[in-house]
Amino acid sequence: MSAAAVAHNVLVTHADEPIGRRVVKALAHDPRIGNVLGLGEGPAPRGFDRFIAASPPRFFYARVDLAKHRSSVDFFHSSRFRDAAIDTLIHIPCHASRSEGLPVVSGLPVRTAEARMVLQHALEAPSIRSLVALGSAFVYRLAPGNANRLSEESELNLDPQVPAEVRSWIDCDMIFHGEIGSARLRVVLLRVPTVVTSGGYVYWNPSLAGPPGPRLRPLGFDPMCALVCDKDVAKAVQAGVHASVSGVYNVAGHESVPLSVLGGWTGRPGLPLPGPALRAFATAARWVGRESWRSAADGAELRYGFTLDTRRAERELGFRPQYHVGLARAGDGRLRLETSPA
Amino acid sequence: MSQATPHDVIRLDGMPGEEVALPAGEPRRALGHDPFAGDPGPDPFEARLAARAPLRGPEPRPVLAPGPERPTEAREAPRRRSWTRTPRVDEVELPEAASLAERFLDDELRRRLAALTHLVEGGAPYDRYGFSPLATQTAFPIFHALYRFYFRVTSRGHDRLPEEGPAILAANHGGLLPFDGAMTVMDVLLHTDPPRLPRAVVDRWAGALPWVNVFFARVGQVIGTRENVADLLDDGQLVLVFPEGMAGVRKRVTQRYRLQRFHVGFVEASLRARAPIVPMAVVGSDDQAPILYDLGALARRLGLPFFPVTPTFPWLGPLGLLPYPVRYKIVYGEPMDFHERFGPEGASDARLVRYLANQVRREVQLLLDRNR
Repeated sequence: MSAAAVAHNVLVTHADEPIGRRVVKALAHDPRIGNVLGLGEGPAPRGFDRFIAASPPRFFYARVDLAKHRSSVDFFHSSRFRDAAIDTLIHIPCHASRSEGLPVVSGLPVRTAEARMVLQHALEAPSIRSLVALGSAFVYRLAPGNANRLSEESELNLDPQVPAEVRSWIDCDMIFHGEIGSARLRVVLLRVPTVVTSGGYVYWNPSLAGPPGPRLRPLGFDPMCALVCDKDVAKAVQAGVHASVSGVYNVAGHESVPLSVLGGWTGRPGLPLPGPALRAFATAARWVGRESWRSAADGAELRYGFTLDTRRAERELGFRPQYHVGLARAGDGRLRLETSPA
Repeated sequence: MSQATPHDVIRLDGMPGEEVALPAGEPRRALGHDPFAGDPGPDPFEARLAARAPLRGPEPRPVLAPGPERPTEAREAPRRRSWTRTPRVDEVELPEAASLAERFLDDELRRRLAALTHLVEGGAPYDRYGFSPLATQTAFPIFHALYRFYFRVTSRGHDRLPEEGPAILAANHGGLLPFDGAMTVMDVLLHTDPPRLPRAVVDRWAGALPWVNVFFARVGQVIGTRENVADLLDDGQLVLVFPEGMAGVRKRVTQRYRLQRFHVGFVEASLRARAPIVPMAVVGSDDQAPILYDLGALARRLGLPFFPVTPTFPWLGPLGLLPYPVRYKIVYGEPMDFHERFGPEGASDARLVRYLANQVRREVQLLLDRNR
């Protein structure tokens, strides 16, 4: 039987968050996908109603707190999970939507705790053969320059002083990276840069995390931010599900814009401060224990940018970005960030 | 023939044992003398190259862990992207002058500038390295004035620049501030049709300088990493390198127009990308800010690559860094197609790469000596 004819039953974590919703939507419309099981902390989003009400039902939703051991163990040992015959697990990390940054569970940022739990269950569940995980391209060590090319072999930022937001991405990356090459599980790790969606929403950029509002940035620096649209992220996840390869893949869209421009597009305008003032602010933030403030003022990503070499994803996963990101005039006459097919 | 003294001998880097003696009767001059004039006889390295075993690729890497079998199509070479190119000047529609300064430019120059917008995919405002056609158009009138009236640049050999496809321009480097790069970019932009914008490679140190890093990126310059250069060449762009690196900038006035040891990364990039190398000489850059002394200890303390003392710096403060109004002369040499003979496999042969870098260095030195 050819690989294309196999219908995968997939489980999507954080299906209630914006990128998870986009992935579920793409998979629900994919004829090569059988059942889709979405997990989320909150109630099922309204957008899922039509998938849940479809006949015969292909989409199921469950409320599970993946960072908590009891909650996740209960789910992965339930008859609901067993009956769904899941063979592919798609892990969508959570994003820091609150100003105080990621919550901490058992001494670990929630993103890291979830990654550990997800990998453990993927290895233990007998039916799961593939794991497709989304990671961040901010795990790379950024060298001086407005934009430098980074490939999958580029050095990771293992500096112990790295801000907590970036640290959690690196921890997640290494957790999944450790299983690449395993005979038991096929692992596809997709490293994505800043994710943007129609309407001017931005995800997984350490310097733009949290709610809209002004952001500090060093005077005299305006690094390039590689962008990828949420629809392209969903396409890349689909490609990872259907591929038969494992490994780390950079995924990015067509566009790159300076951080100041991206901040303007997404309601997070920059507040430039001289470097010494910014360092003093970061030190003060560390003294008072506001790690998220330090992250916002002290990251290398505020000074140095990158562009991703995506040739491996194109060659082995067959992924090419299909959407452009830009400004368009909305119904109220105001310009806002939009995505459109290339 | 009289015996050559040790002072008459120029040692070529990477060619241990081979020394080239100056012809007898010639005055002993390090500057302006062409040490390679005349018939130097058979090249000993060429003979060794002919006698050696065929070039081998890199050693196969051991397989650490058996991974899942990959489909055959996944191993195929990546499809080559179409090269980024600009239209010919007469094909470009004359745009409206965007700024007051742009109104002083003639129609052809404005067409050339408008053609640069085609370098960015999809008409986006920035390319992936931060190049902005709009920022370049804004800065162009200033640099054009410097090109015409301050440095009074003359140039020849433009027909040796490839009309399209990847190529590396290898030039000598000098002067405190990189006006040699700026004038070369201007010269290529003004004398090629379709207009080509050389992407000058700058030192990583410049990427950490506030404002400077942003300005360099917006006008099309990139940090000199292997990945950046390989990507630009893969995109069919023209890359301008200064293989002397910082050593060329900080050399003293007594060493002006004497090329320093070349870095070899540009040769590797050329072989891998199958791009020709065009040697070129920029005469004038070493005279724009003659360095009398380098206060190395002070530079280390300040975290700078060097601290120059010139007739005007540091005595006049930052103004002392400004270049003198010297005449620039830019000459392009014959393209060197090493990739046709050695192929991409040659990039993994360190001795070969060093030898080829020295060949380029020799060509640049010849161009300098003949045009000073």
